[in-house]
Amino acid sequence: MVTKLSHVSLFVLDQNKAYDFYVNKLGFRVHTDVTMDNGMRWLTLNPPEQPDLEIALLTVTSSVYPDADVRNALTLLLEKGVLGAGVMHTPDCRATYEELKAKGVVFKNEPKEQFYGIEAIITDGVGNWFSMTQPKEH
Amino acid sequence: MNTSNEIYKKIVAAKLFIDENFHQPISLAAISKEACISQYHFHRLFSRTYRKTPHQYLTQKRIHLARLLLKENKLTVTEICNHIGFESISSFSSLFKKEIGVAPQSYREHKNVEKKLAAEQPKAFIPFCFIETYKLDQ
Repeated sequence: MVTKLSHVSLFVLDQNKAYDFYVNKLGFRVHTDVTMDNGMRWLTLNPPEQPDLEIALLTVTSSVYPDADVRNALTLLLEKGVLGAGVMHTPDCRATYEELKAKGVVFKNEPKEQFYGIEAIITDGVGNWFSMTQPKEH
Repeated sequence: MNTSNEIYKKIVAAKLFIDENFHQPISLAAISKEACISQYHFHRLFSRTYRKTPHQYLTQKRIHLARLLLKENKLTVTEICNHIGFESISSFSSLFKKEIGVAPQSYREHKNVEKKLAAEQPKAFIPFCFIETYKLDQ
């Protein structure tokens, strides 16, 4: 029986910029930040109210993908910002939108009513976009 | 009830005021003044927007910073207590224990052990599938 997700990986163009976005702007918590002997940085974060989920922020390196075609394709997708990485929850989409916009975060879409709640589309600036959703109260 | 954009901007401004000043002894009156809303309405609107009272949010910010400072090992527990805006070490310690489950000094000791282990054996903290796939051991 599978019960929950404990680790997910998220490819980013730049770990330092990703750190600034997820930690300083969104308020994610750093779980582990160590640099391995081969120079690879293992950086994992927890969403603010989800301490048992580690999101590993990874860069596209030759050690991970020796095939240059694969590396280039993945980098291109990140550079184009077309990878939709998931859904983040917020207690109030419009307030969080205003706050993050003031902090310089770029949105693809403004908050909009959907049948499941209020949703804006947020970009992390390092290759990914997320739905930022305030679920409808039932 | 819908919250108008103007009200959102005020609530967000108040939240950012807390984010910037939470390490000082700030009152609900000072925060609601920042939002240009009466204390009663501010408390109600903030709680509805963020699903926690201004006081709960302020406490959460302080405890989060306390955890970071305890992990850093630069300041004593008393210095941290003063630095994050608590008036007495006993109120800080009991609140920290209530929120985190252990006293500040125990938390520091536990994190020191974890940090030592992470420095000595970083791979012990990473699922093997990641080590293998992302060539973390090469």
